[in-house]
Amino acid sequence: MTTSNQVPATVTATASPPPAARFEDRRFSRRSALDAIAGQYRFVPVLLMLAVIWAFFTTQNSAFLGSRNLTGLLTQIVVTATIALGIVFVLLLAEIDLSVAANSGASATLTAILVVNHHWSAWLGLLAGIAAGAAVGLVQGAIVTQFGVPSFVVTLGAQLALLGAILVLLPGGTGQVSLFGTGIATLSSTYLPPALAWVLMAAGVAAFVLLRSLAVRETRNRGMQVSFVRAVAIPGVLVAAAGVTAVAVLNSYLGVPLPVVILFALLTVFSYLTTQTPFGLHLYAVGANPDAARRAGIPVARVKMIAFSLAGALAALGGILAASRLLGVSASSGTGTVLLESIAAAVIGGTSLFGGRGSVWDALLGALVIGSISNGLDLIGAQTVVKYVAEGSILVLAATVDAILTRGSLFARATK
Amino acid sequence: MSTATPTVTTATPLLELRQVVKLFGGVHALEGIDLTVGRGEIVAVVGDNGAGKSTLLKIISGLQPSDGGEILFDGKPVELRRPLDSTALGIETVYQDLALCDNLDTVQNLFLGREQARSLLCGARLRRADMEHRAQETIRRLGAKIPSLRTPVGRLSGGQRQSIAVCRSTLSDPRLVLMDEPTAALGVEQSAGVLNLIRRLRAEHGCAIVLISHALRDVLDVADRIVVLRLGGKVAEFDNTERTTSSDQLVAAITGISAP
Repeated sequence: MTTSNQVPATVTATASPPPAARFEDRRFSRRSALDAIAGQYRFVPVLLMLAVIWAFFTTQNSAFLGSRNLTGLLTQIVVTATIALGIVFVLLLAEIDLSVAANSGASATLTAILVVNHHWSAWLGLLAGIAAGAAVGLVQGAIVTQFGVPSFVVTLGAQLALLGAILVLLPGGTGQVSLFGTGIATLSSTYLPPALAWVLMAAGVAAFVLLRSLAVRETRNRGMQVSFVRAVAIPGVLVAAAGVTAVAVLNSYLGVPLPVVILFALLTVFSYLTTQTPFGLHLYAVGANPDAARRAGIPVARVKMIAFSLAGALAALGGILAASRLLGVSASSGTGTVLLESIAAAVIGGTSLFGGRGSVWDALLGALVIGSISNGLDLIGAQTVVKYVAEGSILVLAATVDAILTRGSLFARATK
Repeated sequence: MSTATPTVTTATPLLELRQVVKLFGGVHALEGIDLTVGRGEIVAVVGDNGAGKSTLLKIISGLQPSDGGEILFDGKPVELRRPLDSTALGIETVYQDLALCDNLDTVQNLFLGREQARSLLCGARLRRADMEHRAQETIRRLGAKIPSLRTPVGRLSGGQRQSIAVCRSTLSDPRLVLMDEPTAALGVEQSAGVLNLIRRLRAEHGCAIVLISHALRDVLDVADRIVVLRLGGKVAEFDNTERTTSSDQLVAAITGISAP
């Protein structure tokens, strides 16, 4: 499920190390274990944490891992994961966006009003909402890059302004807009026919395997060695197994919900963008060393503004999906735990707060962790207090792990 | 200085600075510096702190435009107002802080900002294999020792990181490479490795090198000519093609206290 920038390969640029380097090798291996957890295999401890959480709640209530509850869980986390996906982009640049939750509420309100009061088609309303969210992100990105204001302050201010905008947009009397019976509402009540779900899943896995095989072939054509088993076969089987399990479980209840399909489509596209294209590489470069990136000719300001726009657009989409599920918008849209859960999802998933490290899949993994805790605690009838404490603590825990990994690994130099 | 000189290509130096001046708020950081760099020549610029070495380097690399004087490249007057002007002429700079991204591997760092990728219609996919192959070749040709091209460079040693920065400067087939304190942060053995790299760079690419350094021993070891700056002016120039200059001579010129 992870995506790394390259296929693992053994490259022999130099001959075997001289005997003098043997002592260093031992230190090297201990450090490389830490580096692996901080880098390419960052998802392993997250999956372990998820396994523990699932095991715990299953012992408490056997319905937890039932297909009905898992369908509910996935539907619940789509909003968090979508917004967190945007957060991953800004975190990669060592920036932060605290306005995503308010932006999601404001954009969803705009969509709802356009569709309900102005009778726009659901599609147009959806696009208008996403465009508005992207525009808000772009403006913030521009202020951050052109004036050098810390993103923390810019987005904190924008958050309040956007919460104000929601109040202005909402109609005076009821203070809410119902989306019942609109195209927006059908978005989250639609489930894919089982066959179509299988086809889409197979297509995704095929694309993954194909891309990796291509990389292997190109590497071999250049006369360099690469292990097919490690680069294609093992990851391919793991991804296929995850895909088959997920679709089988969802199909045994109502089918794959449309929002879940949208989320996975986004993850696939952005995974490609971040790992396979120059733009993706530039994101990681700017996050690690903006000066070096600038001197290498990378348009740092542009990269940052694109990332903030993406965060805004994804926040808007997340907000609209939330409105679709809740059948309306109100003054409480985009408030509550939305912001904390989105940022927490990205960080728990493994995206570093210090920039330059992370993957778009972190948004999904982190949202699963947060969502499972919330869902599980609801299932066993825990109080809201317990939920808040658990979610807040796990965010702080994840950030602590991030700080330790950052300081103890090769990335230490990057954070100074 | 607009006399139309006949072009004598063999004798024209690669880079020529004539009476270059740099002011910082009325203070002369450089006052009327003349400097010539021949093709394939290694020129070292030495001097005490504040002598103007870095300013000179920044003028040639286009980071800080000069305030007066003339710069000729290949015998033709040029304007170096932005780093892009210099790179367009084939001037590459290896900065003292190396400008590497620790989270990226050697290949990604070598091609940073000039990645090879397919067209947008073909998905803009990076040509990873091609870049890796070219990186291998470059590293082998310069004799640099990098354990793995796929290790994030944050994990490599200072000498290896310096090597990567030097290798990166050669990717565009430069005609002149500027180096800012290439051995300042390195131990004895690693310094020797980098000096070797500098010699190989000249031998393999035939490009000229201007390096500024505090390490007089390294300078005497590798440079063909040594230019001494003091308080923004050029005070001495030693021909070191035969490696005959002594460090006493250099120290005397740098400090202005004549040798006994």
